[in-house]
Amino acid sequence: MATDKSNLQLVVNGILNENPIFRLVLSMCPAVGISTTVMNGIMLGVAVLFVQVFSSCTISLVKNWIHPRIRIPTYTLTIATWVTVIDMVLAAYLPEAYAKMGIFVKLIVAFAIITMRLEMFASKENLTHSFWDGVGMGLGFMVGMMAIGFVRELLGLGTILGYDVLGFRPLLFFILPLAGFFCVGLMMGFFNYIETRYKRVKQG
Amino acid sequence: MHRLTMLMRALAVLTLALLLPVLAQADGLIAGKSFGNDREIVVTFKAPVDQAVFADPAHYLVYEESDPDIRLELADVRLDSTGKIAFLGFKEPLNTTRPHVVSMIDLPAAVTGRTVETFRVAKPYLGYLLSILVSALLINNFVFTKYLGLCVFFGTSKRRDTAKGMGVTFTIVMVVSALMSWFFYQFVMKPHGLDFLQIVVFIGLVSLTVQAVDTILRKVNPALFNAFGVYLVLVIANCVIIAVPLIMANNEYNFLETFMLALGAGGGFLLALYMMASVRERMELARVPKSFKGVPIAFIVAGQFALAFLGFSGLSLF
Amino acid sequence: MKDISTIIFRLTLTCLVAALIMGGSFIVTNRAKQHNQQVNEQKVMLSLLGYSAAKPAPASLALHPVYRYLVTEQDVQTLGYLVPVAGGATDAFALVTIALDGKFVARHDLRLAPEKAEQAKERLQAVQTAVGSGKTIQYADQTIIVTDNGQRQAYLLPGEFPGFKTFVKVILALDPGFTVLGLEIMEHEEDPGLGGEIVQDYFKNQFRGKPYEALKKLGVVKEPLPDEYRGALEAGKTGRLGPEEVARIQEQYKDHDIYALTGATISSRSVTNGVKGIVKKFAYRIAFLDRVLAEQRIVVPF
Repeated sequence: MATDKSNLQLVVNGILNENPIFRLVLSMCPAVGISTTVMNGIMLGVAVLFVQVFSSCTISLVKNWIHPRIRIPTYTLTIATWVTVIDMVLAAYLPEAYAKMGIFVKLIVAFAIITMRLEMFASKENLTHSFWDGVGMGLGFMVGMMAIGFVRELLGLGTILGYDVLGFRPLLFFILPLAGFFCVGLMMGFFNYIETRYKRVKQG
Repeated sequence: MHRLTMLMRALAVLTLALLLPVLAQADGLIAGKSFGNDREIVVTFKAPVDQAVFADPAHYLVYEESDPDIRLELADVRLDSTGKIAFLGFKEPLNTTRPHVVSMIDLPAAVTGRTVETFRVAKPYLGYLLSILVSALLINNFVFTKYLGLCVFFGTSKRRDTAKGMGVTFTIVMVVSALMSWFFYQFVMKPHGLDFLQIVVFIGLVSLTVQAVDTILRKVNPALFNAFGVYLVLVIANCVIIAVPLIMANNEYNFLETFMLALGAGGGFLLALYMMASVRERMELARVPKSFKGVPIAFIVAGQFALAFLGFSGLSLF
Repeated sequence: MKDISTIIFRLTLTCLVAALIMGGSFIVTNRAKQHNQQVNEQKVMLSLLGYSAAKPAPASLALHPVYRYLVTEQDVQTLGYLVPVAGGATDAFALVTIALDGKFVARHDLRLAPEKAEQAKERLQAVQTAVGSGKTIQYADQTIIVTDNGQRQAYLLPGEFPGFKTFVKVILALDPGFTVLGLEIMEHEEDPGLGGEIVQDYFKNQFRGKPYEALKKLGVVKEPLPDEYRGALEAGKTGRLGPEEVARIQEQYKDHDIYALTGATISSRSVTNGVKGIVKKFAYRIAFLDRVLAEQRIVVPF
């Protein structure tokens, strides 16, 4: 039952229809915890993108050899291996980024999004489709993180990507990690609202 | 309920075991010693002592255990009316997180047969362990302060029974896998320098624990399995389950400290789940705007909980 | 039965492959990672001394690490200082043991390659061999003495003390008269936006220029930071004030207590007390070490 979507549609699907953060409601931990600035969102998004793509491809390549009963341990092992590799590469070549994201990179292994995607997609589709789906999911995650980071950084620090935009700090509250809850909740509600309006417009 | 009583009994035995050495008194002159306020050490003697000798700062030598060459300056030494308790006041505030050594020198030989009496003053270890527990439970609650385990959190906090089931299952798996991770870390990974395998080994141990609990529960108590079994799979998807071993490795905790951390983490998760479920059950009857129904409003409620938990920040009980 | 053996076989194979991949990347990346850490520390230390990319350190500048150990023999404790010995091989070190009251005890010469000296384990082993059996050695801390053409320019003190949450790790730079040259916060776990502001220039630069006498009784005052002082503290980043202006303002405030951070009094107090403790202990110890080195005529490059 190969998917009939084109590669581009797969990528767009990951960003919009099945956006891991706002639609599938998976991997909320980083969305709330470290989406304090746009830069953080980009960095973790890139890391997740790599892990997702590598894992999807690996599983897609070996999907016929995985015994059904050891599915989950195999997925976990694959993800854990790639996370460890990314962790070491980051520590070696991008130390400033690693200092900020260290603990979250290690936690990528427990991100439900990646395991779910492997289970639902990569273990059933061929290599190309899995690759593009992985890209879509990773990009969707990154876009979601950047969106939340954008709101929080602007309202909390008055900067975007470190550039002073507002010249003052509106509400310190927004960079406290707990504001992530409020932001994600409000944004999700907002997107839901947009979607209902869009559907209503399409129908009527 | 039966499991809860077993847990309470185990905790009571543990507390007693830790208190025993404290109850067994040091022989000689000293009945007790502790930190008073942040500039004081309080020493309790077994019998009333000579004012002339023991209220004289010249007979006391105090230093932090790790800095034996830096003598801490005494402001004064007061004895209380019974003559059994001495209050050593210092000029500078003490760093009570470090153990201190008090040495009483030039004592008249008639008092104890020795001219020098040395003892150690430190915060009680049990207090330290309990502070790790309280920290993981409230101050650094994994859901509301560290924002981990949220996927599972929002999924299972719709009903109170679900919350209870998930919380208890999670605590058990957490404690068992944390202890196993500790063994592996201390005796396999550290000696051979295999630190980079941390992530894989820890998550592997978690899967093993989940599988083991699954099998054992199926055989031993099918009724319990029917109630909690379904949550076992979700435990793996919980970020907290791998965060705790990582913290343990980072801070180099010993066995007891790991146990306290795991217990606190699981307990904190259970607490968070239960409170959230209670609120969400009532919210289903409330008038929420259509776009916010379900997950979005749950996030906002969670945000309010997190705000409340921020109040625990800096709590220092022991 | 065959099923289980297939499962076990495949699982083992997967584990082996995973282990190989991870082991491979570890070997490739480990050296780069450690190199990064060292470069970072060097950069921080040089910037504390006032050097940067725009103003590089002169070639005559040298950093000499001195390591302090606690030596316990039965019940007697002594301090052991591992110092480099001048005028000869680069791997010549001496372990000078000093009693708790400052009197010289013994000198043990040992050879240790400078790269090995930076590794804690190798250093500990060398010291243990030099001192002999029957004594326990425990690492205490390290000081880096900065010289320019052999003249002492500064002391760099890495240290750690309890903060509001857990620990705060810092590197402190002092001049030979124990006036603070700079403070850099290396690691902390304070709340972002509140205690986390200790890394901001307008807090840590307040310590700059504080003389030893003021440092000994330094306190924290809960008053708002005066605007002109703030301008001087952040002058490095904003570049709005000229260096003479900055020096004048700093001279004006040099004996003043530290202005606490808004909403983070405890963090401010912890850092102040921590810095105070580090400087007082160091001043006490270096006096004894210098005296012993002079008495025993141990020639050191600083």
